[in-house]
This record gives sequence, structure tokens and C-alpha cells, in this order.
Amino acid sequence: MTMLKKSTLMLASGIVLGLASCSKDNKDNGGSGNAGAGRFIIAAVPTSTGSEGVADYLLTAENLESGTLSTEGNGLEQDGTYRYYTTSGTKFFSMLYGQGNPGAVTVYQLDKNGKMQKLTNFQSETVQSFAAVGKDILMVKEARKYATPTSRWYRVSTESLTIVAEGQFNSAELANNGELAHFSWIEQVGNKVFAPFFSIKATDAGGWSTDYPDSAWVAVYSYPDMTLEKVIKDNRTSSIGLYFTNGLTKVENGDVYAFSPSNTIKINGTAQSFNSTKPSSIIRIKSGTTEFDQSYLFNIEAVAGGAYMTSWINVGKGVVVATLNTSDKKSQWQVANKLAVIDLVNKTFKWVTGAPDAAAITDFSMTNYSAQDGKAYIGITTSDKKSAVYKIDAGTATATRGLELVGGNITAIQWLPAQ
Amino acid sequence: MTAFLRTVLLCLVLPFSAFAGPGTVKGTILSADGQPVPGVAVLLDGTDFVTETDAEGNYVLEHIPEGSYSLSVSGVGFKAVHREITVSGGDPKPENFSIRMEGVALKNVTVLGLTELQAVNRQAYNVTTIDAKKLYNTTLDLSHALDRLAGIRVRESGGVGSNIDFSLNGFSGNQVRFFLDGVPMDNFGSSFQINNVPVNFAERVEVYKGSVPVWLGSDALGGAVNIITGNKLRNYIDVSYSFGSFNTHRSCINAALTSKKGFTAQISAFQNYSDNNYKVTLEVADINTGAYTPDQTVRRFHDLYHNETVVANIGVLDKSWADQLLLGITLGNNYKEIQTGARMVAVFGARHTRGNIIMPTLKYKKQNFLIRGLDVVLNANYNFGKEQTIDTVSGRYDWYGNYKAYPGLGGESARTMYKYGNNNGLVTTTLFYKISEKQSLALNNVFSTFNRKGADELYPESTVNAQPQTTIKNITGLSYKIDFTDKWTATVFGKILHQNAHRRSVITAVGMPDEILDQYNKSTNYGYGLATSYYLLPQLQAKFSYEKSNRLPENFELFGDVVNQESNFNLKPEISHNFNLGLNYNFSIGEQHRFMAGLTGIYRDAKDFIFFRFNANQWKVVADNLNAVSNIGFESELRYSFKQLLMVELNATYQDIRNQVKYDPPGSIGISPVYHDRMPNIPFLYGHGSASLFLNDVLCRGDKLSFGYNLLYVYAFYLYWPSRGSKDDKYDIPTQLSHDVNMIYTLKNGRYNIALECRNLANERLYDNFSLQKPGRSFAIKLRYFYAK
Repeated sequence: MTMLKKSTLMLASGIVLGLASCSKDNKDNGGSGNAGAGRFIIAAVPTSTGSEGVADYLLTAENLESGTLSTEGNGLEQDGTYRYYTTSGTKFFSMLYGQGNPGAVTVYQLDKNGKMQKLTNFQSETVQSFAAVGKDILMVKEARKYATPTSRWYRVSTESLTIVAEGQFNSAELANNGELAHFSWIEQVGNKVFAPFFSIKATDAGGWSTDYPDSAWVAVYSYPDMTLEKVIKDNRTSSIGLYFTNGLTKVENGDVYAFSPSNTIKINGTAQSFNSTKPSSIIRIKSGTTEFDQSYLFNIEAVAGGAYMTSWINVGKGVVVATLNTSDKKSQWQVANKLAVIDLVNKTFKWVTGAPDAAAITDFSMTNYSAQDGKAYIGITTSDKKSAVYKIDAGTATATRGLELVGGNITAIQWLPAQ
Repeated sequence: MTAFLRTVLLCLVLPFSAFAGPGTVKGTILSADGQPVPGVAVLLDGTDFVTETDAEGNYVLEHIPEGSYSLSVSGVGFKAVHREITVSGGDPKPENFSIRMEGVALKNVTVLGLTELQAVNRQAYNVTTIDAKKLYNTTLDLSHALDRLAGIRVRESGGVGSNIDFSLNGFSGNQVRFFLDGVPMDNFGSSFQINNVPVNFAERVEVYKGSVPVWLGSDALGGAVNIITGNKLRNYIDVSYSFGSFNTHRSCINAALTSKKGFTAQISAFQNYSDNNYKVTLEVADINTGAYTPDQTVRRFHDLYHNETVVANIGVLDKSWADQLLLGITLGNNYKEIQTGARMVAVFGARHTRGNIIMPTLKYKKQNFLIRGLDVVLNANYNFGKEQTIDTVSGRYDWYGNYKAYPGLGGESARTMYKYGNNNGLVTTTLFYKISEKQSLALNNVFSTFNRKGADELYPESTVNAQPQTTIKNITGLSYKIDFTDKWTATVFGKILHQNAHRRSVITAVGMPDEILDQYNKSTNYGYGLATSYYLLPQLQAKFSYEKSNRLPENFELFGDVVNQESNFNLKPEISHNFNLGLNYNFSIGEQHRFMAGLTGIYRDAKDFIFFRFNANQWKVVADNLNAVSNIGFESELRYSFKQLLMVELNATYQDIRNQVKYDPPGSIGISPVYHDRMPNIPFLYGHGSASLFLNDVLCRGDKLSFGYNLLYVYAFYLYWPSRGSKDDKYDIPTQLSHDVNMIYTLKNGRYNIALECRNLANERLYDNFSLQKPGRSFAIKLRYFYAK
């Protein structure tokens, strides 16, 4: 089995199309939980392969510190896997990934007993990035081919649970370099939406390769009309974020930090190779500005022994818990095997101890939870098919094993407040 | 039907015109216990008048000059009887016989000894045969006819021409191979498939479960279906037309003309057309807001399907150098609108597909080729057909037919007009050699080529489509059959399967000259097996067969399809071990109540199953080897008949298909939580029942009126892994129960036929696949004319 195929398999086995959308509204709900106030929702998928016959299951827990949950005869079945999850207020959204065809998004709320109850369904397009913006969820369906470069955005009201506005933009014009811009994610920043993107050829032969591996871009849109204000660029690192991965995070003073995995590729026939000359790094956009701060650059590869960043979760006070991947396992997609604590403001980097060995880790959950109290809860699945929630204490850079999940891989951890 | 077979046989054995006389002899042959005996020879001693009994034991001899004759009845396993008769011009008195079993007899099986149907069913293989002729007055296509057999489920996504998933003992897709007169159909394209070929096209259909005889040279993993067209009639015409609900029109013409010198012209043509605008009930989304309105009943509005196919042959019959030499061409095309995605809430209003078939064919058959006892069959064809998906409308439709256009280029799913041809060539050669009375050899070779050429006029600059993608496949099989005793027969066989796939890529890099990269996927695999049959009692047959089978990767799995499927050039063949053990028993209670009971147990153990997963960014699916499944299954069949009046058939299938993937993903140490779980989204308990009532001479002499009822039952099954999730919230395909009824009236011994049928009588909401609702109650009328000289 070639490296390429293996990494593709690993990715297919691990990816869940959700991403660290840490809940900032739930400050009083630490990992110890508070039964009256809500529930943790854990998504799990029982098997790693197959595009058919495999579904996600949603389970609830009062705390993440201990205990065992099983998918056997238990859990709310979702219509397939490759779903992504987000919360807004007291509503939990289970969105679909449907190969380009529209389908049903299911909305749940907790009842008096802390059980998830289906509130409604509404129809939505399959999208590649989404974010809570005010009382909306903004979703973007990306163009797939350079020859058909139209991308569309949809604004869903979390009150009416319907699409209230939609529009489109040209992703080729956005890249403006003969390739296609593909948002890695979107993020609300003040009254704007920041959309970091990578540049891809998006042709039959070129696929997800690029001839522009050494630049980072963020498209800045006004909200709610989604007018493109500008595209900002920085040549000190590669593109920001990964497919379905938010490369932006806001800290308390309003500064926005961005990381690049620096894992863009070129394609040689059927072989692929990494082509960015820039190291995986963190850069910054100062609060209130729409330019990269040229005074700030944090070269992660230099402090991580060549490992590169693949995702992060903000735990408050300018600190993130990051997942990294060692350079020998480098992939264009979301594959990681190590954890570190990074102080964005003070530029410090510390490996996390107490997590399973890198060689044993097959998956990190990609939608994770932090109450902004210096702790993150991340699901880790190991090759012995054990999956558990680990509490990462950023202060001590240690991981502690908590709630265990039997019969599946944890793919998402969310907190849903009671109504 | 009776009339049909009579005519068939008459045509076979009678030189035309010369002996046309006024007299007729007819009757019914029953066994000592009152059971009709099909396939026994009936002849007038010392003349050329000879025929055989049909499935109901009936026979007829016509155009006999007046006079006295000795009428003889003889069949393998029965004691011959004679009777002196007188033939005159008037209405014949039935000459009925009761004949006695004479021990077990498979000795000297000649074409007159058993009907081919029975001969096939008596093979040691686990084989079931559909007598298509019995269904000629129905509107069934081949897939619906097959759906009535034990062990088979045909799942449809909608109405006429919709996608079907044919599964046999849990194997589906390309794991089961289809043949037309022994020629693999893999490469016929969308215009010639079992979901659009009417049952009238076939004479019978043989279904092999598990082991497949070598003369069906193939890489079937779990079974094969062989469609036999009737080439027996030299001069005949069979025309039918039906009209039914949802503006469905179907017609079929089969005809042959043969000169005395043996020059023959044969034509089969068929056509299906349907708007498929049946009503469905679902939650309908608002085109702008996405809000659902539940329980809306709407009509499908973009589901038109039509296909037209002509199969024509010319050649010669019964020459010293060829029993049959036919040159032919198959021409066809189809058009299909795509109404929905994988879930019915995803609705389309413009996407569609087109396909055609342009396939010249050559058929050659000769018995006693060069030496006595050596029979040769050669078939060759080349398909120039093309397939295309068209998706060019940038916008959205809703279920009310409203349309919202999006500015710019796009498609409803993915903008495409990709058109490709697989340019498949095929040569099959079969040699049978009879070593002695008890031993024979069969050698089969199938050579096929594939040369994908595709282009998309929307993306003319793409170079990916233009590169060579070729495959050469050769499968050779040899089998040896021995009849140890009258009761015991056995066959052993082996197969060698070669495949060589080639793909060229052009490497383009900025500032570098283009470089060419050639890749090959070569494989050689071996299969083998045995089949044996033993008569424990004269009426009780036991069968056992085993095969280690290989299914080579399909071209679309290796190369992808550009639109929805990504290439995986490293695929390995699927491998399966198939065991079958079957018992068949015939018995009767009293004189008039006759029974046939069959019970078959199967065991399948399959590895490196090719399955589909999403590619890295979930934009396409890609085939991969990983899945392993086992199946322990049981099939039972019971047939009952009362006199010539009533016939009841019941069959039931249970299959315990289990996931055998222990480590998922590969390399894990821990055991998969769904190891040994029942495979999801596959029906595991289902059955079929039918009852027919036959009335003769109802309005006038020689007419026949029959009433039929069909029942299909499929027990509920889960869409996703059964063991996971709370039972209350699981997605499932509920238990299906559908009832079809029909009434057939035939006149003039089957020359004129009129049939009325109603499918889904109870107007149930039927689903074979999650969310995809099938048609409600529908009606059809079919008119058919048959004439043979």
C-alpha cells in the first residue's frame, strides 16, 4: 500500500466534517458538568471504512471526566456519517455531507430529562464551511472545478430554522492567479466574516495541487450582505487552515491568529509531493485591522521538531491546544498524532504529556470543547480501537483520560445548554 | 403456453408442408401418482411425427394424414407404453396416458428425454430456471421475473428503467454475472440490461447460485444468470404491446424466417417508454427557505425513461459445416431522466443520462466438429456504444416543479457532459467433448478487451480523459464430468483468470517537458470447484457444489468514471468460497395433489470484497478492497398443484450475512465493534408466493382463461449497522408486502392473447431502498399475437 493510499485511508477513517467551534457562550459549564444546565453531546462512528451502511451516533453525558458510553443499542442514529455538528444557543445542528446534493439538516434540543429531542428538519445544501455569525449560521458551498467557479453562501436563521438569504461569488476571481480559491473555513470577526482560503488548480489533472504554495490569504467580507471587501495576503507562510479545518482563532483582546500547516502539494502524474518552502507557522491580524501583522510570526516547525500544525482549539487567555502531525506522516488532509499547548501571545510551545503514544493514535476528534477555562476536551482513538475523551490542561500541558467510548471512534464533542 | 410449445416442437421436427394432413392427436401424460410428466417423447411409430410433452404434461401432434398408427410414449426413467389409435379429420379424442417410473434414469439424456428446463434443473449445480414462456403475457422485464426466485432480491430505485440492484445470496453488483446465450453481458452498456429487456425476449433464464459451470466463462463471485433466447423456431412471429399507468408503453417483436435451404433471418426488437410520473409522499422543502412541509403528495415530474433495442441476425442453419452461423447486430439506445439523489428530498429537474449500444456479433455452432463427439460454440462481439451523463442546468428545482436559476455555469449536482465509450471486444469459445457415454470434457475461453475513450465537450482542454486506459482479460476454464452410476454424477473444474490493465498519465510540471508515465495492474488468479448430484430415492435428489471463485476488478473501479468515481488502480480481485447443499423431493397426496419441495443451504465466505468509500475530500467515491463477509443461508421452495386447475408456489429465503472485517482500519489492534454484525442495508428474510387458476374452453373451444396472484414479502432491515444506536431511532426499510394480480385470456391455442394486470394492488408505499418510494397501484393491458408455421 502506498503512502498516499494509506494516508487517504486514515483520513477517510478519521475525518469528521466538523471543527473546533468552541462554545464561548457556556462559561459556567466546565468538564465537571452541571446536569441541570445541559449535556455534553458526543458523536461517534462505529467503523472507519465504507461510504454506505455507516452512520454517526449521538450520545449524551453529564460530564467528560469519567464513565463509559457505548454505541451498542444506544445513541441517536444519524443519516450517515461524514456529518458535522454545531450548536447555536440551545439548539444542536446535525448537518450532512451529501456529495453535492441537498439534504436534511436535523435540529435537536434537550428536553427536561436532558434527552435530545428532534425539533425539526430543514433542507440545506452540502457545504464545506460554516460558522455561527450572530444569530445565524453562515454556510458556504465551495466551487469544485476551475471551469465552474461559482461558490454559494447561505444564511440560516437559528430562530426560524430556515434559509433567510443566499448569494454567490466567483472563486476563480477570488484567487486571481489562474487557480481556484477554496475556503478552509469561515470565522466571524466583529461585523465581518474572515474566510482564509487555499489555492487549488481544481482541474481533472491538477486536482488539489497548487503552483502557489508559499502564500497565505484571507478574504474579508462584510456581514450580513457578504460583500467582498478585500483579500489580504502574506508570503511568510503557506495557506491558512486545512480542508474543513478552521485556521483562525480570536483571543480576548480581539486579535485574530492564523496557522498554516504548510502542506500544499504538487502532482507528478499519480505521485504527489509537498511543495511549500515555508514552514508551518502562526501569523496574526491585529484587532480592528484587516492586514497581517508583520511584526508577528511564530515558526512552529522550528519549535516542534519538524512537526506541523493541523488544528487547534482556543482554551482562553491567548492559549490554544493544538494537534500536530509528525513530518514522516505528512498529509494534505487532516491527519495528526501529537498534542501541544501554544501560548499565542507569548509564543511559547509545550508538548502535552499523558496522551497516548503518537504511533498508537489513529484519530483526534475534530469538533472539540473548551469552556475557555484553560482546559480542552478532545477525543482520541488509538489503534487498539479504544476511544476516550482526554482533558488537556493547558497550564500543566498534561492530558488526563476521561470518559471512555465503547464501540466507535469519537468524532465530535459539544456542549448543549438546556432550554 | 401449451400451444406455444407444441408449435415449437412441431417446427422442430416437422418438415414443412409436405405432410400437412387433417388429423390431430393430443392428450396429457401423467405419472402413476397423477403428476403431469413433462419432457417425454410422444411419437407415431414408423413416421416422423414426434413431439414431447410440455410442463403440464400436454402434447399435441398435428397435420397427420388419416389412418391407423401406433402411438408411443417414452421418457427417461419411465416405462415406454404403446397404444393403437386411429386418426381422422374430426375433433380428436384425448389420448391420455399414465406412465410408470422405471427406477432412476439419467441415462441417455437426449433432447427429447427431458425438457431443457428439467435437464438444467437436474444438473449438479445449484441452478434454478425460469420458464420465460409462461410469462410472455405479462409486462415483466427480466429483472422482475428474476425477483420471484428464492435467494434473489431485485431492489429498484423507482419505476420503469430505474436503477436496480440485483442480489443473489447476498452478492450483488458485478459479483453476479449475466450472460446472454452464454455470452457475458458485462459490457453491453445501459441500453441492454435486465431492467429493460422484456421477458418475451428470452425463452428461459438459468440462475446459478454459487458455483458456475465453466461454459459460462466468467469471474463471477457468487453466481451467474444465463438468459437463453429461443432460437428453435424457424418461422414465427410474436408481437406484443402493452399500455399501462404512468403513460407506460412497451412493445416487443420476435420473428424468424427460415428457408428450406437453411438460410435464416431473425429479429428481436423491444421498446419501453414511461413517464414514471407516479405520486410520492414526502416532506417537501421550500425552494428558497429550505423549510419542510411534511406529508406532501406530489407527482414525479422528471423521470421519463425510454429505450429501444433491435437485435438482428442473418445466417444459415443445419449445414454440414455449421449447425448455426449467424452474423448479427445489436442496436439500441436509452434516455433516462434523473428525478432524485440518494434521498428523495434531493430533487432534480434536468439531469439525465443517455446511452447506446452498437454491437456487431458473430455466432457459430457445430456438433461433431471434425471428430465425432466434439461440439464447438464460438461467439464474438464488439460494442461501440457510448454512455453520457448530462448535467448543465445551474439552479435548483423543488418537488412542485418550481425552478430557481443560479447565475453562471453549474449543474444540479456536478456540471458535466462527459461521454465515454468502453470499446469492448469479446470472443468466447466453448468446446464440449464426449469421451464416452459416461464422461465428458468442456473447455471454455473468454477473451475480452476494453479501451476507454471519453471526452467532455464542456472541458475540451482536459488531457486526463484522452490518455489510454485499456484492459485485456482472459478466462480459461476446463471441466470434467463423470456419471459414476445412474444415480451419481460429478463434475470437477478449474479456471485461470488473467487481467492486464494499463493506464497512462501525462506529467505536466511548470517549466518541465511533459513526461509520460505508464502503469500496469497485472494479475493471474486460479479458481476451482466441484459439483455432484446423487439420487437418494427416485424422487429425492441431493446436490452439492463448491467453488473458489475470483471476481476481477471492473474497469470502472480501476479507472473511475470521471464524474462520481475516483480511480483505484491497485485493486485486487475479490475471492469467495461458495458451498451449496440442496435437496429436491417430489411427492403426491392422493391422485390429484402433487407437491415439489426443495431445500438448499448455502455458505459463502468472501474476502477482499470491493466496497466503496469516500475519497479524501468526500467529493467522489473510490473502490477499495477490505470488506469480508460470510453468509449462511437457507432457501426453501414448495410447489403444489391440483389437477390442471390450480397451481401454488411459495418460496422463502433467509440469509445470515455477517461482517467478517475484524480490524478496521487495517492495522488496528482492537477488534471492530461491528465485527460479526449483520451487514446493514441488505434484505435478509424474504419470500414470494404465487397462485394461478387455469380454466379451459371458457367461451369457446381452445381458449384458456387464467387468474394469477403474486405476493412479495420482504422483512424490514436496517439501513445502518444493526447493533449500533438506540432501536427507537434507527433508520430502516420497513417490511414490504405487495400484491399483484393478473388475468390472461388466450384464444386459438395461444395465437391471440390478452392480459390485464394490476401491480401493487393495495397501493402500499413500497420502498426497496431507504427514502426512494416506488410506484403505487398501477394497471396494464397487454395484447399479444403469436403465429408459428
